[in-house]
Amino acid sequence: MKYTPRQGETNFNVSPSSIWRELFVLLAGLLAILAGLYLVMGLVVDLVAERLSPEFEARLGAAVSPRFHVVGQDDSRQRCLQQLADRIQDRCVHLPYHFKVQLVEDPRINAFALPGGIIMVLTGLLDRVETENELAFILGHEMGHFANRDHLRRMGRTLVLLAVVTIVFGPDSSLNNLVTGAMGLAELGFSRQQETAADQFGLKVLKCFYGNSCGADDFFAKIPKESDPGRFGHYFSSHPENRRRISHLRSLSSSDCRPEILKPLPECIVKGK
Amino acid sequence: MIVTNIDHVPGQNIVEHFGLVSGSTIRAKHIGKDIMAGLKNLVGGELKGYTQLLQESRDQALERMIAQARQLGANAVINVRFSTSSVAQGAAELYVYGTAVKVQ
Amino acid sequence: MTNLIIFLSLMVLGYLAGSWAERRHYRSIAQREAQWIHLPAVTLPQAGIAPGTVDHAHLVSGSAVISIDYFKRFLAGLRNLFGGTVRSYETLIDRARREAVLRMKADAVGAAAIVNVRIETSTIGGHGKRGNKSTTCLEAVAYGTALYLKDR
Repeated sequence: MKYTPRQGETNFNVSPSSIWRELFVLLAGLLAILAGLYLVMGLVVDLVAERLSPEFEARLGAAVSPRFHVVGQDDSRQRCLQQLADRIQDRCVHLPYHFKVQLVEDPRINAFALPGGIIMVLTGLLDRVETENELAFILGHEMGHFANRDHLRRMGRTLVLLAVVTIVFGPDSSLNNLVTGAMGLAELGFSRQQETAADQFGLKVLKCFYGNSCGADDFFAKIPKESDPGRFGHYFSSHPENRRRISHLRSLSSSDCRPEILKPLPECIVKGK
Repeated sequence: MIVTNIDHVPGQNIVEHFGLVSGSTIRAKHIGKDIMAGLKNLVGGELKGYTQLLQESRDQALERMIAQARQLGANAVINVRFSTSSVAQGAAELYVYGTAVKVQ
Repeated sequence: MTNLIIFLSLMVLGYLAGSWAERRHYRSIAQREAQWIHLPAVTLPQAGIAPGTVDHAHLVSGSAVISIDYFKRFLAGLRNLFGGTVRSYETLIDRARREAVLRMKADAVGAAAIVNVRIETSTIGGHGKRGNKSTTCLEAVAYGTALYLKDR
């Protein structure tokens, strides 16, 4: 038996297909699976959100709210906001909540709804508001989220998807990061409808409270582009781009909006500025 | 191609050898099968999905080894050994190697 | 967003560095395989060498530990979901084994043949916690008996 040294040319132990093809096929498959999961889970969460009891919601809200720096109960602006919300609710909004407005010390211009009837208003937003109508519209808008149960749906979707992704990919895999990022974007696109619906609810509140729906668009005209939607935006209030929103609001609100018919801000909020 | 795991081919003479040849493959199951196997682990018994996966992988590894031997001009692979390892979770790596020879 | 940017840059970095290292390693493997081609390594107990001509024999071995880049690990993670051949690990294993065999041959300088070769593979790291898959690396070890001929 003699030895014949010979070197094979082809490496049979490595598949001939390209690695880019592999990446493309796998990513396409992953996207399809995630889209399917997203649809199914979204439906499930919507169903659950319709049926959650107010007590459970209040507990959920209490669990989330300590994450924010809330201004104390004795703050005059806080009490003033609460009074305005109470008046709006008494006269125009009939929902199974007792709305609790909380002022958060934060320079960003934003407001958002938490489960259990909590409306968080950031001080950055309060500083920019110039008339009571604007403020009433913002509160009405957030109440609109409660009316449509958007706050629960959004929170539920985010939680459920995170849970599913964690089960599938493990707690801190790189895939997890990618998927969470992608979900945030999908959430942003989806919630435009919800924002528009909440705007319409806010307009109805204005109309009922003041007899006209003026002042709704004033506030958004003032928001500088860069401060929207902010960091919370991805989870709590991804607002449609301002320009589209203003034109939409204008088309819906009263036609003869003279500055005289707008109500000035209550004393207690002006003083706090 | 004759493949044996003894050091000769019975009834034939080895006239020439070409050194080591090997074939390897690494395969994963889809997540559904993984989950089913996890459930099956509760009650025990044969994991059919895994058996099939490993069998297919072993066949592919053998094919690759034989292709390499053929390329060298051999007509038999003798003293073949299999080895299995798990490189990544849920993926099985099959390796088969032997000596490529020419028999008459 | 920051996560996504970090992830993408790790992917690009992994791909570039990984494929550069792989090409370099394959070149080196091909060159050394050509260099060592006259030393046969077989799984047989003897390789056509008459027992009388052997002066002495001893165990030789070679091993290599090799790791995978971020890009390919990501691909392998995805492949795990769908099942099928894990394309991105194939070169990893191939390289580790060939390197191990080459190191075994380098351990047997002056030998006429290496007989009864066995090759084994094992993974080190990455099997403890589920989230800790990132450390997966592979060890290939090759060992056999080197036969040295008598001087004549």
